[in-house]
Amino acid sequence: MHALSDTAPAPAGGRRAGVMAWLLLAPLGLWLVLFVVVPIAGLAVYSFCQRDDLGRVIYDFTWENYARVFDPIYLRILGRSVGYAAVTTVICVAVGYPVAWFIARQRSPLRERLLLLVMIPFWTSFLIRTYAWIAILKTEGLLNGLLQFSGVVTAPLSLLYTPTAVIIGLVYAYLPFMILPIYGSAEKLDNALVEAAHDLGAGPIRAFSEVIIPLTWPGIAAGILLVFVPAIGMFAITDLMGGAQVPLIGNVIQNQFFRARNAPFGAALGIVFTLMFIVTYALAHRRRRSSASP
Amino acid sequence: MRPIPPPPPLHARWSGLRLLEAGLGAWTVVVFLFLYLPILVLVVYSFNASRLNVVWEGFTLDWYGRLWDDTRIMRALKNSLIVAGCTTVLSVALGTVGAWLLHRYRYRFGRTLQTLIAVPMIMPEIVMGISLLVLFTTVGLKLGFLTVIVAHTTFCFPFVLIAVQARLQGMDPALEEAAMDLGATPVRAFLLVIVPYLRPAILSGALMAFTLSLDELIVTFFTASAQVATLPLLVFGMAKVGLNPMLNALSVLFIVATVAFVLFSEHLRRLGRRAP
Amino acid sequence: MIPLPGSRALAVLVTALALLLAPLRAANKEINLFAWSEYFPQSVLGGFTRETGIRINYETFASGEEMLAKLLAGGTAYDLVQPPDYIAEALIRNRLLLPLDRAKLPGVSNLLPEYLNLPHDPEQRYTVPYMVSTVGIVVNTERIKEPVTGLADLFAPRHAGRIVVVDDARELVTAALYVLGYPLNEINAKNLAEARPLLAQWMKRIKLYDSDSPKTALLNGDVDLGYVWGGEAARLWSENPKFAYVIPKEGAHQFIDVMAIPEGAKNVDAAHRFIDYLLRPEVSKAISDEFPYTNPNGAARRLLSAEQLANPASYPPGNRKFDTFRHLGETGALIDELITDLKNSR
Repeated sequence: MHALSDTAPAPAGGRRAGVMAWLLLAPLGLWLVLFVVVPIAGLAVYSFCQRDDLGRVIYDFTWENYARVFDPIYLRILGRSVGYAAVTTVICVAVGYPVAWFIARQRSPLRERLLLLVMIPFWTSFLIRTYAWIAILKTEGLLNGLLQFSGVVTAPLSLLYTPTAVIIGLVYAYLPFMILPIYGSAEKLDNALVEAAHDLGAGPIRAFSEVIIPLTWPGIAAGILLVFVPAIGMFAITDLMGGAQVPLIGNVIQNQFFRARNAPFGAALGIVFTLMFIVTYALAHRRRRSSASP
Repeated sequence: MRPIPPPPPLHARWSGLRLLEAGLGAWTVVVFLFLYLPILVLVVYSFNASRLNVVWEGFTLDWYGRLWDDTRIMRALKNSLIVAGCTTVLSVALGTVGAWLLHRYRYRFGRTLQTLIAVPMIMPEIVMGISLLVLFTTVGLKLGFLTVIVAHTTFCFPFVLIAVQARLQGMDPALEEAAMDLGATPVRAFLLVIVPYLRPAILSGALMAFTLSLDELIVTFFTASAQVATLPLLVFGMAKVGLNPMLNALSVLFIVATVAFVLFSEHLRRLGRRAP
Repeated sequence: MIPLPGSRALAVLVTALALLLAPLRAANKEINLFAWSEYFPQSVLGGFTRETGIRINYETFASGEEMLAKLLAGGTAYDLVQPPDYIAEALIRNRLLLPLDRAKLPGVSNLLPEYLNLPHDPEQRYTVPYMVSTVGIVVNTERIKEPVTGLADLFAPRHAGRIVVVDDARELVTAALYVLGYPLNEINAKNLAEARPLLAQWMKRIKLYDSDSPKTALLNGDVDLGYVWGGEAARLWSENPKFAYVIPKEGAHQFIDVMAIPEGAKNVDAAHRFIDYLLRPEVSKAISDEFPYTNPNGAARRLLSAEQLANPASYPPGNRKFDTFRHLGETGALIDELITDLKNSR
């Protein structure tokens, strides 16, 4: 998992590929072309099409779908989706980093056991876990019961179907994806380096920001990737915990395909969404390379 | 001759860190509580006699018993296992061979290919779901096991490939040459020497693929039909209606099975280490 | 990441899979049913399979629009669909339904005449009514003391954040048209423009959109009012009579969910058998027991208990005439866009 941050390592030396090597690689190449490149191209074609009154796609060229994507309404949704995913990611880093660090500092048997404890929730469906949160957060749910019983509040709080509930659901679903890669980096960190920083008189804050953070950055970056990307397109958690009233980009795209019966417009949204990602990655990649070269 | 001053006692130098360590430990406990609170709720409700999951109406094992008779849940479970199993096998095959080839040989479009491999991992699931739906409907492929397995393999195999690639980077090049010197063909060398060396990476990649596939909702939502509805699809349909306590029971069984499996394999490993 | 025992595990897995996949090829006695979520008791589906050996794959949708979209996408070959009347009308007009073989459906004679030969299928050639439901207002009378008699009361500012509404664009627009005094099928750009500001206000006050099970939030106490299917309201009433059902004074409609066989169905014969099975009085009664919508099956109604027939949400008292939805054609897209945009601009 930690290798994620390094998705494009320089091809290892190796010998020049012969016919046999090409043939062996063909299934992989074909797979990627057929199921990644071609579908995205198909989506791009769809996004310039029109639809009939039942919602069937008509292959007639139009720019209209893109004009609509850049309507302020949809731009606001895109912005809100990025916002939700960003808040989720930041909370995951803040909550997960100390945990990952702590686990990485433990001795062997305890360390593996703690790691296992992080992973076990993975093994139940995230939807069922989300549903458990509904039981906790609803107006006559466990949390309100507890709060009222202890006298903290008199009237039950409205917790479910709010943005806070959505964020709780998202953080809960993706937290392990943040802890594991950071753990991967922190575990490799040489204790001596941290001590050296102390010996040189660095306070804990400086040691942290100037030694520890840079050294565990690959893990943090991988974690951000693993949390931010799925969080931005998620529609199930927003449906279940947000009451389908805070639409995010995932809900809107899904709606275009299955409710509004406007697949071309949904495709246009998907294409713009993808382009946004590609640009972000390209920028991040260039920055990383330029900062790594000197 | 001046005596060398003794170094400051270790505990004094580290007391700040100790405090930090204790704080971190406390924080970890809090986070674990957060992670396990819903699991606890789930376990408790799986023994609750009430169907509506609202109030405690007494202990029962009924849901566990009825689980096996519920054809919808059992079929969804079977579908999920079939999809996850096939996805894992395909992902391991594509990922391991791909990683090895890209490591061993220099390809003309190696860098492009490498970038392309990363795309399914970083592409939002919803875009992958709709683009595959568009592909399958355009070519007239009926949605079913094939489409779901293809879709799952597409986003799972890069995880295997990258895990294997990471391990290959640490491999001693002499390993393969040694095998070749002993007269093995490249294929035999790959199977007899390289694969055993890569085993930990392959297994962790396979586990990742299996887990990802088992719990995937969004891509599945767009590429599956009723006959092959997986557990997450079933649960998504049921969750709004009020979840069936049988699903809680099933989740508990999943957790128990996982923990038992891990403890068992650890036990085996320890036995293996003790034996010469 | 997790230590695993020997590499033979993979081989075992493959063998197990082969074994699991084997029986799948043998089973072609099955029908793909595409229907509303929460609309078929497990006992009814299971009873049919036990009797005939035909397995039913029950795939669900949450709105008529979703049903149409998935049917048109053509991903699955459905043998049987359950559209609401106005979607059925669209399907009939576009020749997407197969005519039914009435000789195989003797049970049709059990149906009450007032639910037959309606505008969506005047000759009753393509569809058979399954259940009927009004759409109305549910009020938790323990929490809401002031009277609620119509849609304007329901969406009043004082109820902000306490309302659940079915997640269905057309229902919302229809409610607004009722309040503005327009007939429900008169949907055009001008009427929608008038409805827009009203809907924008209402939608700010809605707490939750849920077509699958709006009753859950009402039961849980997360909301106190709802604009929901009559069947959902009927279940609430039988759970606790504090949930009153109100037919809005501004206007009310009913929809008829029908069974139909789509073009491209593989198992037409089995589909007919299933439709006729559903028309049997005792089967239809079993459906009413679990999902108390208005049962159009006269023979089945005679089997219902007095208490079931007294449920005001299933069988609204009085002889009020209800409207029905018609297929809208081009203007349907305007509704989709209006509601999507309004929802998104919150």
